[in-house]
Formats: sequence, C-alpha cells, structure tokens
Amino acid sequence: MPKTTQIYTVSQINSLIKVALEETLPPQLTVRGEISDWKHHTSGHCYFSLKDEAGILPCVMWASKFRTVKFAPEDGMAVLATGYIDVYTVGGKYQLYVEKLDPGGVGPLQLAFERLLAKLQSEGLFDDAHKKPLPRYPMRIGILTSESGAALHDITESIRSRWPCARLCLYPVPVQGEGAAAAIAAALRDVNRRNKKLKLDVLIVGRGGGSLEDLWAFNEEVLARAIFDSQIPVISAVGHEVDTTIADLVADARASTPTKAGVVAVPDIREVLAQLTATEQRLTNQVDARVQLAEHELLIVLASAVFRNPLALVHNAGQRIDELVADLAEATRQSLIEARRKVSAGYEQIVRIEPHRLLGRKTLELNGWQNRAQAGISAIMNDRRIRLTAKENRLTAMNPRSVLQRGYSITTNKKTGLLVRASQDVQVGEDLITELAGENFIESRVTRK
Amino acid sequence: MASQKPKNDIGKLSFEEAIKELTEIVGKIEQGEIALQDSLQQYERGMALIKHCRTILKQAEERIEKISQPEAEPEDSSKSEDKS
Repeated sequence: MPKTTQIYTVSQINSLIKVALEETLPPQLTVRGEISDWKHHTSGHCYFSLKDEAGILPCVMWASKFRTVKFAPEDGMAVLATGYIDVYTVGGKYQLYVEKLDPGGVGPLQLAFERLLAKLQSEGLFDDAHKKPLPRYPMRIGILTSESGAALHDITESIRSRWPCARLCLYPVPVQGEGAAAAIAAALRDVNRRNKKLKLDVLIVGRGGGSLEDLWAFNEEVLARAIFDSQIPVISAVGHEVDTTIADLVADARASTPTKAGVVAVPDIREVLAQLTATEQRLTNQVDARVQLAEHELLIVLASAVFRNPLALVHNAGQRIDELVADLAEATRQSLIEARRKVSAGYEQIVRIEPHRLLGRKTLELNGWQNRAQAGISAIMNDRRIRLTAKENRLTAMNPRSVLQRGYSITTNKKTGLLVRASQDVQVGEDLITELAGENFIESRVTRK
Repeated sequence: MASQKPKNDIGKLSFEEAIKELTEIVGKIEQGEIALQDSLQQYERGMALIKHCRTILKQAEERIEKISQPEAEPEDSSKSEDKS
C-alpha cells in the first residue's frame, strides 16, 4: 500500500511534529543547561539557547515570564529552565518556551545569598577593621533568640558551665519566618539604644540548625546592617557547624553553633581563678623578696663600722681637736717668741742711736739757722722801708691838691659839678665853688664874663 | 585614713577594672619601680583587688532577666523579672 509516496506540505509536517511532540513530552519540563547566545530584545522578550557538551536547544522567554527572574542571566551561566517544548513553525524549529528560569542547580535563596554576600563584602561590612573586640570578662550578656527554641538552653548552659557569674538577659525574638530578620534587627537597635541602662557587655544572636530557608533570617540585609551598626559587640551563633550565614560574617565573632557560644563569649572561670591565685602568689613572692632584700640591706648597713662602734667617730673627732689645740698653743708660743725677739732688737738699735745727744746737736744747729734767718729778714725789712719812704715823698709831690699849697685853686660849677676850665663852662648868675688849700671852699657868683 | 579610702572604692570596680589595676600593680612591683614602703601599700591593695575579684566570681545568677520591652517601658521590665 505504501506504494504511492505521500507528499506533505511544510505546514502538514510541522503540524505532525507538533502533535508528536505534544504526545511524547510532558506538558511541563525542566532543562538543565548553559546559557548561550543570550539576547534580551527591546520588546522585553528573551531569546537564547541552552547547550551542553553535545547539543543545543533554542529557547524563548516572554517578557511577562522574564519579569519574575531574580538574577541577570548571561552567556555561560548554568541554569534550570522550566517550560514546555513547542514547534515554531515560522522558523521551522522546535524550542523551549521558558516560563521559569533558575540558576543552575542552585536555588534562588542561594543566589540571593551570594548576591548579598558580594554586595556587603564590597561595602566592607565583613572587614576585620570593623570587628569590635569582645570584652574579656563579660558580666552582663544579652541573648537575642527565640524563647521557645533549643538554642536558648544551649547558649545559657554553655555560658553558665564556664562563667556562672555573668548575668544573662534574654530578648525574645522570632528566628524564622516572614519578618524574623526585621524583628531581630529591631531588637538589636532597641538594645543598643537602651544600653546605658541595660549595661550589656556583649550580645549573642542565634538559633539552632535548620534548612537554608529556616536560617534565612540570618542571611537578610536588614539584620546584617543592624549587626554592623551595633555598638555592643555581637556574637553570632546560628545553625550547625557547616552553616555560614551573612550574620556570621558581619558579627564581631562567630560561634559555630549555639552550644559553642559560651566558649566564644566568656572565659573559663576555673582558669580565671587559677590566674588570680597565681597573681596572688606572684604578688606575695615579690613583696617577700622585696622585704628580704631590704632586711639584707639593713644588715649590711648595721654591720658597717659606724654602727659597730658609734663612739669611734666622736673619739676620732676628739683626738683631732686635741691635736689642733696643741698645734695652736705651739704656734702662739712661737709667734710670741718671734715678737719678743723683734722688740729687743729694735730696742738695741734705738739705744745705739743715743737720742739725747742727737737732740742736743740738732738743737744747736737749729738755733744757728734761726739767728741767720732773723738777720736776713731784718736787713730786707730796712731796705724796703727806706725805698717806701722815697716813693711816698715823690707821690706826695704829684698830688694835685699839693699845688693848692702853692696858691692855686680849683673852681667848679656848682650846678653841674664840673671843673671850670674856660669861660663858656659857666653862665652869668651861676654859682662857682672854689677849693683852696686845706679843704677850704669859697662860693661866688658870676656877674660878668 | 589614706588606706581606708581606696579600699572603699575597690568595691565599686568592675571585674575588668580590678584585673587591669591588679596587673599594673604586679608589673610595678616586679619591675622594682616603687619604693619598699609603696610596694607594701600596693601589695595590700593588690590583695584587696584579688579578694574583690573572687567575690564577683562567686556570684551566680540562675535567673534569666528578660529585657524586651518594645512599647510599655517601665512596666514590662518588672513583669518579665517575675516570669523567669
């Protein structure tokens, strides 16, 4: 029967393939592959291929579906694409109509975790420079966890077994589910705000183990920021050993599980007590040694000569004084003898000069000189007297008034008091005064001239 | 009088402060930095500090204080102390 070859149209073939595919493949399937040739069209639709080592599968994702994708797909990225296979008759090819796109093998939480990790890391929230040192001997410890969880017991027991003297303060918070992260963050900020009163030395934030979803609150940005902003040092104690949360990385210290919180947060009281005892011993030994040394020094001082024979100094000094007194007496005696010798030598010299004879000789000599001096002075006096008389006589002869003795007179104008030398020196009627010898005066009047 | 005063203030020191001062005292005495008379005084103070530290360590509080109080501040703290 199949002698005659059936001829199909292109559309018929495509339809048959479409039906064959619909019958064979499940209506929804998930394909693992690596993105290649990723094109995000301006229409919002995405066109790309999934490939593995052996082959390639064309894919399309409509804009309405792509809106739900929480990451940026790119070439080479391993993904899980969920959708259905259909034939694209226009292009003559079958393709995967992707309705959901997830990172390959990795859930959306993991991806979100990695994105936040990278973001906070680049902001430096995990840097050691921001890690606050933990108090060495915390006395008030704040615990932020669920009141009903096993973690609370684990944390408190791990602390009390090592450091029973600390006061534990619980701030109950939800540790999983919607809003848990925000609630823990709010509690952290609240405690910080009130810490002047609360006086907490350190905070422990934690919960027990669980799935990634259970622990998710500790991977949220809002909590990471609150831990970073806390002025009180924060210790994280979340999940099991293998779990590392963002909170663990931002916290100032990390306990791998709630049961390890005590080891991280507090010292072992036995060690501290042992240290105290050791310190006490050291202090005592040191002071004992110090006192012994001082006693030894005292013995050395006491053994010195001064203390063995304290009067020796006085005696020595007494002896020295005696010696000095003797020296002084001797020196005085010597200077007296010397003085006496000088006096007698002087006396001898004076006696040898015979002062009384010397005085007689000098008196005679002096008298001779006196006589000669008096004679000299008398001769000079006589000579001077004779010369003086002669001069006196000559001077008398030159006195104008002596002319008056010889009959001359001096006439003055009575009015003017001036000498009358010529007739014009007087006026008719004026009075004249004429001086004669022997201080006699005549007064007359000019009647004519 | 002089030795009485410091003894009073030791009771107010936190454990950490007491340990810090104790360490300083031991250091000073071990290095022989202070005179004999002072070292005896410091020794006495050191011993008082050790006693104070031991007293603090002897305290044990079984109760857990609850400190959450988002809204009603003064009331909540007294309530929470009764609970646990």
